[in-house]
Amino acid sequence: MTRNTVLRPIPQMTRRQALRSAACGFGGLALNGIVADACRAVGLQADSALHFPPRARRMIFVFLAGGPSQADLFAPKSYITKKHGEAIDSPLADDGQVRVGVTHFLPMKPVAPVRPRGQSGTMISDLLPNLASLADDLCLLKAVVADNKAHAPATLQFHTGHVAEARPSMGAWLSYGLGTQNANLPSFITIRPPADGRTYGAGFLPAMHQGTPLNVPQKPGEAAITNLNDDDTPSDVQRRRLDFIQRNNERLLDRVTADVQMEGIIESFELAFRMQAEAPRLVDLAGETQATREMYGIGQGSSDVNGRACLMARRLCEAGVRFVQVTMDGWDHHGDIASALPNSCAQADRPIAGLLRDLKQRGLLDDTLVMVSGEFGRTYWSQDLTGTNPIEKHGREHQQESFCTLLAGGGVRNGISYGETDDLGYQPVEGRVHLHDLHATVLHLLGIDHERLTYPHHGREFRLTDVFGRVVHDIIA
Amino acid sequence: MTDEPIARVNSQPQTGPVVVVWAVLAVAALHLFVPLADASDVTPEDDAATTGFYDQVEPIFARYCYECHSHASQQAEGGLVLDSRRGWQAGGTSGAAVSPGHPDESLLIKAIRHLGPEMPPDAKLPDEVVRRLERWVSEGAFDPRESPAEVTDAGGIDLEAGRRHWAFQPLNRGDLPDVESVNWPRTPIDRYIVAKLEANGLRPVADADRHTWLRRVSFDLTGLPPTVDEVRDFVTDDSPAAREKVVDRLLASRAFGERWARHWLDLVGYADQVGTSNNVFAQHAWRYRDYVIDAFNSDKPFDRFIREQVSGDLLPEENAEQRAANLIATGFLVLGDVEIVEADKEKLRVDVVDQQVTKVGRAFLGMTLECARCHDHKFDPIGQRDYYAMAGIFHGTSSTFKTDRGVWSDVNVLELPETDEQRAERAVRERQHAEELATAESEREQAQAELDELNKRLDEADVSDAERDDLTKRRDDAAGHVSELDKVIQHAKFFAPTTPKAHGVRDVDAPADMRITIRGNPRALGDTVPRGVLRVCSTTQPVIPAGESGRRELADWLAQHPLTARVTVNRIWQKLFGEGLVRSVDYFGLPGEHPTHPQLLDHLAAEFMRTGWSQKRLIRTLVLSRTYGLGSEFDERAGAIDPDNRLLWRMNRVRLDAEALRDAMLAVSGQLRASSGGPAIPLEYPENVGGLDPKDVNPPSFGLRKWRPGQELERTIYLPVIRHAAQPEPAAVRNVFDFSQPSQFVGKRDVTAVPTQALFLMNSPVIKRYAQALAERLSEEDDPTQRLELLWLALLNRPISETERFEASEFLQSCGEGGWTELCHALLASNEFLMRI
Repeated sequence: MTRNTVLRPIPQMTRRQALRSAACGFGGLALNGIVADACRAVGLQADSALHFPPRARRMIFVFLAGGPSQADLFAPKSYITKKHGEAIDSPLADDGQVRVGVTHFLPMKPVAPVRPRGQSGTMISDLLPNLASLADDLCLLKAVVADNKAHAPATLQFHTGHVAEARPSMGAWLSYGLGTQNANLPSFITIRPPADGRTYGAGFLPAMHQGTPLNVPQKPGEAAITNLNDDDTPSDVQRRRLDFIQRNNERLLDRVTADVQMEGIIESFELAFRMQAEAPRLVDLAGETQATREMYGIGQGSSDVNGRACLMARRLCEAGVRFVQVTMDGWDHHGDIASALPNSCAQADRPIAGLLRDLKQRGLLDDTLVMVSGEFGRTYWSQDLTGTNPIEKHGREHQQESFCTLLAGGGVRNGISYGETDDLGYQPVEGRVHLHDLHATVLHLLGIDHERLTYPHHGREFRLTDVFGRVVHDIIA
Repeated sequence: MTDEPIARVNSQPQTGPVVVVWAVLAVAALHLFVPLADASDVTPEDDAATTGFYDQVEPIFARYCYECHSHASQQAEGGLVLDSRRGWQAGGTSGAAVSPGHPDESLLIKAIRHLGPEMPPDAKLPDEVVRRLERWVSEGAFDPRESPAEVTDAGGIDLEAGRRHWAFQPLNRGDLPDVESVNWPRTPIDRYIVAKLEANGLRPVADADRHTWLRRVSFDLTGLPPTVDEVRDFVTDDSPAAREKVVDRLLASRAFGERWARHWLDLVGYADQVGTSNNVFAQHAWRYRDYVIDAFNSDKPFDRFIREQVSGDLLPEENAEQRAANLIATGFLVLGDVEIVEADKEKLRVDVVDQQVTKVGRAFLGMTLECARCHDHKFDPIGQRDYYAMAGIFHGTSSTFKTDRGVWSDVNVLELPETDEQRAERAVRERQHAEELATAESEREQAQAELDELNKRLDEADVSDAERDDLTKRRDDAAGHVSELDKVIQHAKFFAPTTPKAHGVRDVDAPADMRITIRGNPRALGDTVPRGVLRVCSTTQPVIPAGESGRRELADWLAQHPLTARVTVNRIWQKLFGEGLVRSVDYFGLPGEHPTHPQLLDHLAAEFMRTGWSQKRLIRTLVLSRTYGLGSEFDERAGAIDPDNRLLWRMNRVRLDAEALRDAMLAVSGQLRASSGGPAIPLEYPENVGGLDPKDVNPPSFGLRKWRPGQELERTIYLPVIRHAAQPEPAAVRNVFDFSQPSQFVGKRDVTAVPTQALFLMNSPVIKRYAQALAERLSEEDDPTQRLELLWLALLNRPISETERFEASEFLQSCGEGGWTELCHALLASNEFLMRI
């Protein structure tokens, strides 16, 4: 319990000098504990301070919100296809769960062909043609396990390790562990984030590690960051206003002397002003070639927004951001998955494949870890909330017992599939990777021992993986 | 229980038949339980190895592990038992404990190396012991034991040692200390403070000036700055009772409750939404919020406040109004982040229980009881049995019910008794409602007739193309109108006037003691634990009458306990002085902070209990102390000795929280609208409600598309608090200025300084609107000099200085037209406005 709001002047240098030298940058400062624990608050930073030699220096997480169907996209089951539409005995123990729209168990075959791709033979659906062409660059985890069946808790667990509470998010832990490479930018940016702010919150970590949400500007003049600009006021007036504010602040500081909080606020205004200059350049895609834009699916109907988001992610990574998340909605297919899933795939396929290809071309994929996943997957049997639709119109229910996650780049073995589930695609039978294990592995690839990246709170040391987590060495190159 | 393959082992019967169920979490983990085909299957040739095991390995387990990991101790921490081979093979909730031949991959070895779960939790094993077990594992983990071993040490936590921790000790305020500066103290509080300062060679700084004091006490008590008139009145009031007058005025204002209720709501995880999934409205949550505001304003004794919130439904009442308040108060127990979409209803039940134990522990006792759900508390003398003793009380309490929509549950809704007045009001509303409904229905009938007519015409053959286009358009319009009216009617029926209701709890039909749930799994059950209270701070256990949950007894215990008083006065102190006497305001456990002034804390707690748990009285005493009136300026010498100001040689400066910031901006710009409470989400507008079709698989939900006129000008506490997304636009300040997550129970919010705050203050349209309104208000004063004077008095509550007047004039000139708005904007974003010093 050392997170006091301290009002302690830093010996020898002013706090602001200290902060600049610590390069903690745009993300700003938590007043809690930062002065007493400046190093602790800004994280490990230097490679030499990492626990292992890092295989990746940054990470992009493409979050497919809603629970994409692994049954249709990556892991078809011959038993399911054989039994398509034929009621089978319940594969489930009486586990006390209320189930809706699943009165009898109807196996449902994939809505489009899934075929082996590339040298590796990794199975990928026809609905993802661009991603399929990169099969040999992917590591497909096929037995990932989460702990909750509902979107909100499962999404929270994927992002924070915990199904309730407001623990620090994965990006915040990485920001804390790795520090930033660009003093004018946050180390954790989340593009079109999930609504629940806890998914990019800093929890009990210093607030500078929280994710900065970014919109995708779709027409000129639209701001990527809320309140980034004041379009109604001439810029010279804005500058004068800021100067007036800061002059008053400095005078107050002189009057009352030494105040960490006030200095923090003054610093945050300056950083905000710097950010106003830096951020728009990074999210402005005008300088990208037409070929690049096309590769990402920009300007091509439904993939446009995701394409822009992915291209922004690459630019932010290049600029030194440690963790960028791109969220793509629309994977919660409870009904009529046959017609809905192709649309979702069309929105995501080019952007994700474009991102991977672009990173590869630029030599960035080697030290950029890319992860693509939903918060859970879907059942291999169908769901019909109407109770009357034919199987052609059915969807699939959430499934946290097993699902698929894609990894690529930074230190991951590519061209492999890891893990397997039973004939019903329900329980893992080998290569089980719990979310805690996934988190442990991600941290490991970035040079961090998940058991040693801790922060004190409520009288004990907390970590991303709680008391769990096992690094999956088999998937590391 | 279910058909789920759960492994059971009967323990050695001791006090009665006890079943310990080990090693079960989710079906998902079943593959871990397949016995390993390993080197540890025994053959007769293994005699030597057997001897070696019993001589060298088993004694280690017995000495260091069995206390928490054996059948005989009736404990299986983390689902793991080590007193048989099967025990470590199956492992606990984290999987097999030992991987024979692979020490590095064995959880048990990792644990004793203190990598990951640290075992034993209190101290690392001696190196030679660690090495011995490593060798045992690397040699194949030979283990001949077929059945649970018998051990005699029952283990458990050391309550006697635990009771020596300061927080569990009886109150001891000692004698009022003597001080050298006899004239300095105004109250006993000041004596305690200055005595400690003197003992450390320190002196308090000078008193704050009157302007500063008034601004400070106004914000602290009401969350609002003083008005210009209030500033002028106070600084010219020479009477000795001037400060008392101010304090009494503030304590008597409605704004006091509006301020302090919010502090309490932070500890409740209050929101106008049930859970986090989807946007399910907590239709009656506002009644609890209003109840809390009333409780502060009427200075409801805090012990009574506890009893009502924990057991209001079980308390006797004098009249309908009191009965209603008692029931509403129990909203405390259910207005948190209850995950009503959880498909496993038994799990939901034990999770809600966990939340209630956590909340009671945090709010009243400053303890992290939730840590003892799966194992004895690692730092505090709180056993798993203590957890389940209290959990049993809430297990005997009904909090949620399964709805007929999909997998969804909802928090309980209680019918409130009506007063005569309410009944009369309802009669009026019912009549109105019936009329409105009738109007809508007849309108719908007409619209339907029109639609039928158009459809009929369209079906006819003799329609020209042009006419058909026109008809189609009119038909679509008419169809739209019909469905719109359908929505209105559905909405009106759904929200038909009824008797008042609240979210709250009641006892279940047959309350009983609860069984330990292993790792929170409601189907992996351990011992039954008699209901009761924390043993470490209670020498006797309450007697719970048959057929009752025990909440009344729990509330009685909480409401008389000195720890509750300590925690409560410390929180109040923190709100007024910026830091608690115990800085970890929510955690009084062993690794928590110790009180800087233990005797002062106990003095305040004792006085609090003695004077009927009156919060207003305590607050009045604190803010009238000389310590509270200290200046906040820095003193080099004191700063060197006590840089954190732990001894209070000066006042701590505090940045305004989200509510105070927004409310103050509304107030100074003359826009703040008084409210007497009521529903936060305007559900009366059909456009704000969805999912009313009873066939829907999801529950009715809210949107925030339309606000009541002027609603966005009410104090922040009245605006909806939501969980599934960012806070709504009129309360956007919460998203930026460290509002507490409504899924947590927080006694003290973080204070951060991040650029998003700066951007919000500089660029957000809402701040500009405040600045504009403020400038307009100022324009009523013609004289620019007077205007500046007023602006400073209104915003910073002090006179403007000469330099400031000069700079402000210069700034006004440089900005040209709109200069006053710019100036107002700049001041609203300045540190002096953002802080109370």
